[in-house]
Amino acid sequence: MIKNIRKKINNGDLRRFRFWLQIFFFLLFVYGGYLSINLGQNIPTFACGFNSEGQGATCYLIPLQHQLALSSSTLFSMAGIAVLIGFSYFVLWFLVLNKGWCGYACPLGTIQDWITSLRSRLGIPYASYTWEQFKHLKKIKYILLVLMVVIPMGIGAGFFSHDMSTPFCMICPGRTLIPIFTGDFSQLTIDFSSKTKMILTTLGMLITGIFLAGSFFKKRFFCFFCPMSALHFMLSKLAFLKLKKDGSKCTKCGDCYTVCDMQIKEIADDVESKNILQDDCIMCLKCVSACPEEGALEVKFMGIPVFEATVEGYIKRMEKENKNG
Amino acid sequence: MANHKDEIKHPFNLTHQASEATRMLRSITDDFPDNPEAMNYFYDLYKKVYCEGVSLHENKKIVGTMCVQVPEELIYASGAVPVRLCNGFYTDDHNGADFMPAKSCSLVKATLGMLDSKSTLPFINRLDDIVLPATCDQKRKAGSMIADMGYSVYDMEVPPVKESEEARIYWRRSIRKFAGELKQITGKKLSKSSLKEAMAKISRAQKAYRKLYELRKQKNSVILGKDVFMVTNAYFFDEIESWTEAVNRLNVELEKRVEEKYSAAQRRAPRLLFTGSPAIFPNLKIPMLIEESGGVIVGDETCSSNRMLYDMVSSDEWHLNAMVDGIADNYLKPCTCPIFTKNDDRKRKLLHMAKEFAAEGVVYQSFSGCQVYSMEQASITKALNDEDIPVLFIESDYSPDDMGQLSTRIEAFIESLKAKRRRNRK
Ligand code: SF4
Ligand code: SF4
Ligand code: SF4
Ligand code: SF4
Repeated sequence: MIKNIRKKINNGDLRRFRFWLQIFFFLLFVYGGYLSINLGQNIPTFACGFNSEGQGATCYLIPLQHQLALSSSTLFSMAGIAVLIGFSYFVLWFLVLNKGWCGYACPLGTIQDWITSLRSRLGIPYASYTWEQFKHLKKIKYILLVLMVVIPMGIGAGFFSHDMSTPFCMICPGRTLIPIFTGDFSQLTIDFSSKTKMILTTLGMLITGIFLAGSFFKKRFFCFFCPMSALHFMLSKLAFLKLKKDGSKCTKCGDCYTVCDMQIKEIADDVESKNILQDDCIMCLKCVSACPEEGALEVKFMGIPVFEATVEGYIKRMEKENKNG
Repeated sequence: MANHKDEIKHPFNLTHQASEATRMLRSITDDFPDNPEAMNYFYDLYKKVYCEGVSLHENKKIVGTMCVQVPEELIYASGAVPVRLCNGFYTDDHNGADFMPAKSCSLVKATLGMLDSKSTLPFINRLDDIVLPATCDQKRKAGSMIADMGYSVYDMEVPPVKESEEARIYWRRSIRKFAGELKQITGKKLSKSSLKEAMAKISRAQKAYRKLYELRKQKNSVILGKDVFMVTNAYFFDEIESWTEAVNRLNVELEKRVEEKYSAAQRRAPRLLFTGSPAIFPNLKIPMLIEESGGVIVGDETCSSNRMLYDMVSSDEWHLNAMVDGIADNYLKPCTCPIFTKNDDRKRKLLHMAKEFAAEGVVYQSFSGCQVYSMEQASITKALNDEDIPVLFIESDYSPDDMGQLSTRIEAFIESLKAKRRRNRK
């Protein structure tokens, strides 16, 4: 019985599964508010809080930046406990899906995938980074994460003006783009009320443009730079959902690398690590579905195998691809 | 190509090569009982090609390949047919000796001998191009000799290290350049749809092969290794689609054998893996000796067989460059050819196969004069011995002279495996 279910899953069409699950989460996070759904404000992905009417949950980066900007006296009072509780919720949510939040749930990630499929339909090939570019670019998300922590703390300590509050949101394409889906274009403006705000919102507009152009040519363009992804990675060792590799079964054929949107080389080349999740990984699991080696790649939830590379599944999917593609 | 040997002496079926092939083929079919019905397709194919000299791939451009690293998808997509030239004839080995120093690889000498022969296989006379990946020294240097015979030779650059990113970039460029060369030859530019079709064609063949591969994991061996070598070796020159169909038919028959609990070898036959220098018809000397001595080859790790057919290519999106790059990676990264610097991938592969196939021993063939296989031998043997898998290392060439001595060694090895099994059972 269980064996049969497993086989069904391993033979399944991941692409289709993912497509629909992404739509589900998109609806939940972007329109859930209209159905009075509220999953709280500690969601470990870009369920943007600026989408004030439709949001079915809120991206944790808003409360985080606000809380970091509290003065130290407030932070060490009762409010501090609330902050800790908020963080715990964030961690708990995260632990369930690990970076699967990015591959399956993030509205901004989904938007990028839609743009990708548009490009692909137009017959335009995707761009890739060279290994040198990749090595440098991947550091940016950590820099953004540090700034996202330091600037609010600077506000709290009185070094920076409150005009700089939620600095990352100001430049995040989530803020400008996600509200559009509920008909709210108000974020697509430049705020002239102060110099700081003007600079930040202009930067935001600019980054939105770069986001759209970038993700048209480069798969998951923005995710390379996403500070949420950096934050995830710090906790990912603890998560329940795991991406495992058994190097003894891997032939280094490179199929997983070929399909990886994030150009993660280790997925094919590293035959030592058991836990193969890398910091850029979005846990889309395309690699698992493209791997022809029985059990070389595997997804486990709390130690229970949920999806595994199999020859049979590989061939099934490949034949389908070859017919449609 | 202008024919370089207009004065063909006599038809192929009268050559020494043809009688060598006939002898071997007879041995393969007659020395063993109950060959699978579906094997007749292959036996007949060899008979036609190597005994009767029937031509192949009429009206098609033919691209000869000299090693396993040449991406055949590209050749098919350009409208040509790839034919692997690595040759196993002792007669050709003998003739090829003039070209190479005394102690050189039989395979390279035999390939040279075949290409130089005045009365060679008909399709050899029709080669439009020969692609020579720069792999081992002997193959590399054979290139200009082949060119001197009048063939057009394309040197395909292969990085000596395959782990680095530089190697990947270099190799991808080398493959794109090769695609350009193919266009020169066939006049047909690669297109997305032709490449996709070629990929599908090869992946169907690989799918059939994988099925056969899985069937050999059965505890009851349903097919002998000598037959599988015949099957995979036919992939060198057969029309790919009929090859695939024939393998599928064989698989159906073997599945029936599984159901009937039929065993092609003796029930207690020690299960062996074959690795090292490739077994290529008619030089199936060692596989034959193994199976005549009561062992059964359940799997192999050689470039004439598993290495050639095992690894399958994926593509994320169907864009020409992405497809070509994906194909390129697939021909370099998993390749366990000993010309690369590291031995690790081959060790890992063999250890994993030994487990998968419940192999009790490994026979490692190295052609006398093949440096790379000999140099890797000690480290591979150690890795396998550490997992308690005995290895028989055999240095041999195409000449039949060492048969007696080899058969003694092989029999002793197989006996020792049986004794080991008895000891373990106690
Ligand atoms: S602007 Fe970006 S970081 Fe801020 S809440 Fe929206 S999605 Fe999250
Ligand atoms: S990395 Fe990509 S998918 Fe993940 S939270 Fe950031 S934008 Fe969303
Ligand atoms: S697809 Fe599987 S076998 Fe191939 S390199 Fe990746 S993990 Fe290894
Ligand atoms: S490593 Fe696998 S799961 Fe991670 S991003 Fe690449 S393809 Fe997706």
